[in-house]
Amino acid sequence: MEFPHIFWWTFAWMIFWAVTGSIATRRAYLRRDLDTSNAPFVGAMLGASTGPLGLVPLCLNTPTLTTRFMVAPALASVAVLMIAFGFADPDNFCVSNGSFVASQIVNGLIIGIIYGFMALGLTLIFSILGVVSFAHGEFYMIGGMITYFLTAVWFPGMNPVIAISIACLSAFVLGAAFERLFLTPMYEGKVDRPVEYGILVTFGLAFTIQYFVQATAGANPLKASRYFDFPRIRLPTSADPWLIKTSRGNMELFDTVSISNPRFTAAVMCIIVFGALMFFLHRTWTGKALRAVSQDREAAAIAGINPDRMNMLAFALGGMIAALAGAMLVQAFSWLPQVGAIPALRSFVILVLGGLGSIPGAFVGGVIVGLFEAAGTGCLPDAQKAASYIPAYGMIILTLTLLLRPTGLFGRRFASGAHGKF
Amino acid sequence: MTRERIPQAAGLALVLGFAIFPFVYTANDYPYIMHTLIACFFYAILASSWSMLSGYAGQFSFGHMGFTGVGAYTAALFSHYFYLSPVPTGFCTEFLIGGQYLVIVDAIGVTSSTLTQDCLRKALAVWDGSVQITPMPVWLGITLGTLMGGLFGLLIGLLVLPLRAAYLALFTLGFSEILRAALSAEISITRGQAGIELPYLFDAGITLFGRHFDKTDKLPPYFVMLFLLLFCLAIMLWLAKSKFGLFVRALREDQDAAAALGVNTTRYKILVFVLTSMMAAAAGAVMAHYIRIITPNNLMILQMSLVVAMAVIGGVENVVAAAIGAILINFALELLRNSFEIGPFTIDMTIWRLVVFGALLMVTLRFARNGLISPIIDYFTRGHVAKETVAKRVAGSETAEGPP
Repeated sequence: MEFPHIFWWTFAWMIFWAVTGSIATRRAYLRRDLDTSNAPFVGAMLGASTGPLGLVPLCLNTPTLTTRFMVAPALASVAVLMIAFGFADPDNFCVSNGSFVASQIVNGLIIGIIYGFMALGLTLIFSILGVVSFAHGEFYMIGGMITYFLTAVWFPGMNPVIAISIACLSAFVLGAAFERLFLTPMYEGKVDRPVEYGILVTFGLAFTIQYFVQATAGANPLKASRYFDFPRIRLPTSADPWLIKTSRGNMELFDTVSISNPRFTAAVMCIIVFGALMFFLHRTWTGKALRAVSQDREAAAIAGINPDRMNMLAFALGGMIAALAGAMLVQAFSWLPQVGAIPALRSFVILVLGGLGSIPGAFVGGVIVGLFEAAGTGCLPDAQKAASYIPAYGMIILTLTLLLRPTGLFGRRFASGAHGKF
Repeated sequence: MTRERIPQAAGLALVLGFAIFPFVYTANDYPYIMHTLIACFFYAILASSWSMLSGYAGQFSFGHMGFTGVGAYTAALFSHYFYLSPVPTGFCTEFLIGGQYLVIVDAIGVTSSTLTQDCLRKALAVWDGSVQITPMPVWLGITLGTLMGGLFGLLIGLLVLPLRAAYLALFTLGFSEILRAALSAEISITRGQAGIELPYLFDAGITLFGRHFDKTDKLPPYFVMLFLLLFCLAIMLWLAKSKFGLFVRALREDQDAAAALGVNTTRYKILVFVLTSMMAAAAGAVMAHYIRIITPNNLMILQMSLVVAMAVIGGVENVVAAAIGAILINFALELLRNSFEIGPFTIDMTIWRLVVFGALLMVTLRFARNGLISPIIDYFTRGHVAKETVAKRVAGSETAEGPP
């Protein structure tokens, strides 16, 4: 960084006013006897972006805080931070090189969609069972492992679509069996603290699966070959393909943004399945029943829905979604039994950021986390440090969300059972 | 001897057994067994303090390994960067304190020592052996590590005040992961994955019971760890029996009800965090000085899962049961390292033992929610309670107007 003090002083200034703002705004709203659930967040963001200029009117007027008050200051504080960074480090690629920024954004978006899709499974489990599944990363891992072994070792040349389907089906069965065997005592009130029981027992499952795979498949990195090749496209003309240029494993847009085939197919697949899932949840009886159980267990039971079966379905579906994400990404990353840990942590982040059991929240949260990670890895001046910090970026978002707005972006504040408590 | 006394007698016998074990055991694998036992005590401290935090107070934290890392890294950085010298080096940042110079070595990260040297090594090269520098005392580093653990515990305790259940678990997991990422990324200070080396726990050796022990001997660290474990257990048992334990359990059962009945929930929640994280940090600092190297991988989720599983299998609502569970399981995991062959297949037990262990964790949770050790203790100490309650009930129904 050329002028690090510009950035760090701005940063310190923002932190100072954010902390002041969150405390002062909460106090101001409490004194007027108004709803304080959004006050710390708005106060912190307004303080970070405008300093005392915005805080004083907010504390004096104390208007009803709506979405409008939440989005604009949050975006403004991100903008202030970016401008400070631009002044501090004018030679950084993130500031000087437009095409680098464009390709970082596109890659962040694509990976963010995949993250969001994976977190969707966790959200589904959380909204219906009230359990954070710590085995989510392991479902992701076995999805990739099964697909790899089917296509590369057991039946070489197998159609990848069939292999992916088999992997998803196995994860579904495993999830359903686990739920029947280990999670059922939670619903019958046999466990004192069901949420903690759920966390610990899925933790045990994660541990068992991870070492089972390591014992059977070994700890060497595996990688599946590409599932599909891109067709050869040259647009607008083959002599000057500035719009789209594809080779078998890569696609280049506008001569600047390069997207690798495995990630692209994974993202497209995720969007398609997301659409199918939305249709399932909103248009079919079973999907509606699932959503009903997530809103109110007892009322759903009175309406003739068996909540226990919905629990099983939700856990199995959640595991299947993670396995699908893994099956799509085994062609992009090298696969180890421990590969699930970082995506699982990311899913936790997205779950909290998106809000309690909110499905759009999971997708938006995934994209935000993807972009944040792309910015973190691309813009930090020391590339090695940037790479080492990858697991921490998401955790910073998690910490900030839990401190400022524990309900997340689209969280419901009141839900049935254990879901409403945090 | 009444039946309630049996667990106490057994506990006393166990402690005595551990105390005389190093003197009577003389087999060839003495260093290996001693090392295993030190690791057992280390995990026992972590498991029992974690069971205090989660079993008693109901704060399911996944950041316990993070506090261990805070303690270990504080001790490591302290011994790595601070020295005392009688004359100024002229290269380093240094302060005159009581006739000695406190030398703060500059951070050079991982470099070949022939190319770049830190300021103290440069000064030593100039002096050429004419000046004797003193490293900082090990106990001071361990104390600082413990205090730093307490400070982090206070900070985390304050931050998690409004969070419950799943959110608390995720937040503490996040803390632990951020810490790990920071420790492995800030190579210039922490040397990243290369790890920091620490001095021996007793660098000059120590004379105990009229016998001199070399710095590589296992017996002094064995007793240090054992005493630390007994000390932590004594504090926790005393707290559990006192008002503190009652308040903290009330917090676990229903926080709002406890607050309504006048328990200062904020204070007790933070206190229990500070206390258990100090224990974890102390254990981490001592262990780091014993194994003499600390890397960010010591904070891995695997380590955390081991601690959680040990506490759960022992009995999460009983600190002694958690400690015994940790000792037994760590010992069993060590014994199960040997691979064996069934027909054409070689079973690599180094991995399979962890599979068995994970399955055992799940089955214990499912069918024996109080763990495997704590029901045994309860059988002796509280076995009569059920009978007495039934007897009272029978007596009560006889004196009343008859059965309803």
